Amino acid sequence: MASDKKEMVGYRQQPGKLDFTRPGSGGSSSISRERESDTIPESQGGDLPQPWGPHRHDDLITGRVIGKPTPLIDSKWKVTGQALYGDDIRLPGEIIGRLVRTDRHYARVLSIDASEAESLPGVLGIATGEDAPHAFGVLPVTKDEHAMAVEKVRHIGDIVACVAAEDEDTARLAANSIRIEYEDLEPIFDIKDGLKDSENPIHDRGRYHIGESNVQKRVFQRFGRVQNIEDSIASHESSWTFKGVNHGFTEPHAVVAHWDPRGRLTLYTPQQVPHYVHRALADVLEIPMHQINVYRTFVGGGFGGKSDPFPHEMCAAILARKTGRPVRITFDREEVFWTNRGRHPSKITMAIHADDEGRLSGIETDALIDGGGFASFGHVTTYYNGVLHTAPYEIGAFHYTGARVWTNKPASGAMRGHGAVNSRCAVEVGIDDISEKLGVDPIDLRLANLLPPHSATITGFRITSMGMRECLERVRAESGWDEKFRNMPLGKGIGVGCGFFISGSGLPIHWDPNKFPHATVHLKIDMDGGVTIHTGAADIGQGSDTVVAQAVAEVLGLPMDMIRIRSRESDTSPVDLGSYSSRVTFMNANAAVSAAMQIRSELISAASEITGVDEKRILIGDRRVYSKDDPSNGVSYLEALHKAQEDRGALLASGSYRTPPMGKMHKGAAAGLAPAYSFSAYVAEVDVDVETGKIKVEKVWAAHDCGKALNPLSVEGQIIGSCHMGLGQVISEEMRYGRTGNLLNPDLLGYKIPTVHEMPEVVPIIVESNDPEGPFGAKEAGEGPLLPILPAVCNAVYDAIGVRIQELPMTPDKIYRAVESTCRKGGFESPLDLPSPRLVLTSLSKTLKERGAQHSIRDKMRRLESEIGDYHNGALFGNDPETPPEELDPDWHVQVLPDEEYLEEPGLAGSAWLHTERRHRGEVE
Amino acid sequence: MAAHPLPVENGVSTRVWSASVNGKSRQIIIRDHDILLDVLRDNVGALGAKRGCDMGTCGCCSVLIDGKPKLSCMTLAVETEGCEITTVEGLADGHHLHPIQTMFSECGGSQCGFCTPGFLVVCAALLESNPSPTRKEAQDAIEGNLCRCTGYQQIVDSIMEASDIITSEERLVSTTRPASNPHPGYGG
Ligand code: FES
Ligand code: FES
Repeated sequence: MASDKKEMVGYRQQPGKLDFTRPGSGGSSSISRERESDTIPESQGGDLPQPWGPHRHDDLITGRVIGKPTPLIDSKWKVTGQALYGDDIRLPGEIIGRLVRTDRHYARVLSIDASEAESLPGVLGIATGEDAPHAFGVLPVTKDEHAMAVEKVRHIGDIVACVAAEDEDTARLAANSIRIEYEDLEPIFDIKDGLKDSENPIHDRGRYHIGESNVQKRVFQRFGRVQNIEDSIASHESSWTFKGVNHGFTEPHAVVAHWDPRGRLTLYTPQQVPHYVHRALADVLEIPMHQINVYRTFVGGGFGGKSDPFPHEMCAAILARKTGRPVRITFDREEVFWTNRGRHPSKITMAIHADDEGRLSGIETDALIDGGGFASFGHVTTYYNGVLHTAPYEIGAFHYTGARVWTNKPASGAMRGHGAVNSRCAVEVGIDDISEKLGVDPIDLRLANLLPPHSATITGFRITSMGMRECLERVRAESGWDEKFRNMPLGKGIGVGCGFFISGSGLPIHWDPNKFPHATVHLKIDMDGGVTIHTGAADIGQGSDTVVAQAVAEVLGLPMDMIRIRSRESDTSPVDLGSYSSRVTFMNANAAVSAAMQIRSELISAASEITGVDEKRILIGDRRVYSKDDPSNGVSYLEALHKAQEDRGALLASGSYRTPPMGKMHKGAAAGLAPAYSFSAYVAEVDVDVETGKIKVEKVWAAHDCGKALNPLSVEGQIIGSCHMGLGQVISEEMRYGRTGNLLNPDLLGYKIPTVHEMPEVVPIIVESNDPEGPFGAKEAGEGPLLPILPAVCNAVYDAIGVRIQELPMTPDKIYRAVESTCRKGGFESPLDLPSPRLVLTSLSKTLKERGAQHSIRDKMRRLESEIGDYHNGALFGNDPETPPEELDPDWHVQVLPDEEYLEEPGLAGSAWLHTERRHRGEVE
Repeated sequence: MAAHPLPVENGVSTRVWSASVNGKSRQIIIRDHDILLDVLRDNVGALGAKRGCDMGTCGCCSVLIDGKPKLSCMTLAVETEGCEITTVEGLADGHHLHPIQTMFSECGGSQCGFCTPGFLVVCAALLESNPSPTRKEAQDAIEGNLCRCTGYQQIVDSIMEASDIITSEERLVSTTRPASNPHPGYGG
């Protein structure tokens, strides 16, 4: 230590008798300094500007860590190789488990002969579907998975049996020597076939069937006034094909199961949703939940791909119970693709209409999504494909039909940007096209049609903070948009795209009559002064542990080193629903703040007791608790703590978060409801080689409204990482299925994730709209930033070569073919003669600019004024903003079931409604 | 140097593999077909070397063999007889992290961290041979490594920062010191 004070050895921890340079002793000086005023918000008398107004957590700001780039709390483990992921858990006496996967697309399992495997030396246990008859699934309404096939296998790679052996070689040998007899059934691969009646629907789901078809979920929604669509002067129509995309996390799934000598199960698994795994294990193993400890290891990337309870987790537990030894199962990369849960391959048709005032008079979407063999999150995905594009624009009418079908392919599920990504791409490309038809700048068009802050969307989502306008304005300015757009030479282009995403989902997955909180955080502080945080939030690399620690450190005025976090084990952590729906920062940090506030007030009363200063006049600063009026009058943090501990020992606090009641009442109204929404706008600049069709994305300006960047380092990391993942989907990534339904590229060679060379330079721009309910104003930053990159690149490609391609990924061959056919149609000799698209502004452009400017003022007032009226979508079309339009306007639809008229000519996904619902298979109503 | 062959067991020939892993010399009985990554993880206990794909496509398993970055999933253990192997665990000197480790942590070069060990050894090798790379050179060096979280940008930032530290002796001391101080942030 550089301090020239005498080193004290074995000092006694007595209040007020401590050397103040001692760790945790209460600050580096015995006298409280004035706080740095530039870290104190204006609302609290400091100099920290608050252009978006004050926040309810302002008085908790101590200037410690919030808003400062903070390295991840566990990053030192990661950079030294000490972080233990799933396969790194090595327990004494472990044996290796191996899954037996089917090579059939769709078949009935007639018999399984394991005798040869059993006789192999070193084989310790074999299990089949008979050992685990109970179904499970992440959503309680669609439990359709089993640990191992019961009766049928539903796609290549589906699990039929599992074996455990002394070593991996033996386990593989045993797995290969299990003989299975099948009766093949007619498989379906084409998403459209899923809509038809089938002799052998992929699932028999008891009391709810949609005809005899493979439709797993269907949605119909019609909102708004149809007349608005009829009054439109310009329409865009498109028909998109999106290929399936895999998460491509670097860590393949792995799990270790261990039954301890007392008969309790500990499951070590890299999971995003340990709590749902906990529930599923209890169901499948038929033991009470309290006999299970789910231990979340470090997670090598999740992105939604580790957010289902998985069959292999059940298998490990079953094998470990059978053999009495810890069982480790690790996937090959190929198995990751069999498990999948990636983005749904989809067919989306979309029509967007605009009227003579440049208002978006209607969006009509029909989305048919391919669920693969299992339901997973599909119920929700089916809704999200529609409802998540009802904002940020004010629209005159919204009509969505969606359906998800089962096919004999690995299951699709939740992936970063869950359900919103593909349809968002279609919307944003559509708006680009509409603006061209109207002769206006696409950014102007968007700016003149945004919902204001504190408003309700057409389906009744409650928007609170809203930074869309700032995002658009920032990317426009920083990218030099006005000079570049429709002005660049052939092959060079620039495009814009926006995004809108939920920040936490309003309803927990498990319906709970008891109003359990969504997130709970426990704090414990003992004599040493360090704070132990117990939380069940799953840090999957996004930095949730760090953000929760930051929230606590901020409120208590402590350095991060005094915070330690215990978030791994269900035995010690309070229940948290998991890392999905971008809920963790919002919900968990809110819970952490409320727990820390309790500790804070205890410290303040203790300090008040010692110093005699009124509690209301006491502040917490850098490890000191002191008088606001006279900073020299105070006590160290430890002194206050020890006083508060008198007669009771450690301070404990529990804080929790639950979403407020919100939303409308129609069926499906809860899907897409969130306590806050994030917004983003990207501009991408691309270089397209017209002769070869190769796209190089050169630069991306990425503005994201995350409410408040609690940790700007992480927010930027999330933005850039999202760009990378989204970029993959636009230019190269796809799960390719051959004509006979085989997955052709279950590996990282054929499945092309962009390398460093494909990555453009990304300029992350953080917009902070100060969400009223978020912790310190924060919203999500993990998923929303992925959405805009797809349409931004698509629009930029159009700007570069004047060709729109409605199929992702836009691989060079597709561009080449599109360019070729454009040349042929236009009579151009060479692609180099193609004209670049140019923009001719119409008079509407001025109207939109003016409306945008007016709305900008309207929005500013709405976020700063304390008394603001309601604003319902529809006001732009002449409705009363304060009343939900359906209450005044008899022609305003709120319709969730199709009418006869629609069924006469349904859309593709809409045709799922032609089936009648039945109770049991084969029964006719 | 040839490894010492041992008698053939069950039709598989085995031998004693001797190599130095992170500065410690090891003698381990291996089978001829054993992959270096397996030997490192299962026999040596160097769990820092990660398995992402097992077929040379992700770079998570990168280790240094005699100072050169190699994919350990594509290397037979016997090939490394007598070599010096460095995994991520061998980069730090006690509490003193290698500047690239510190900077990965400080600049967001590591999110989920699974790709990190592979990147770190590759970057360490780069900085060893070229202490002040350009951004382009840094990108070229990591082209064989996949990262799904960071989009590479903060990784390249980390390399540039680490290069700054390495090339200025003074900052080296001040920036790498904290790791040796069990109480960073408190005087000292
Ligand atoms: S595990 Fe070696 S390159 Fe992927
Ligand atoms: S940090 Fe997660 S893969 Fe690189």
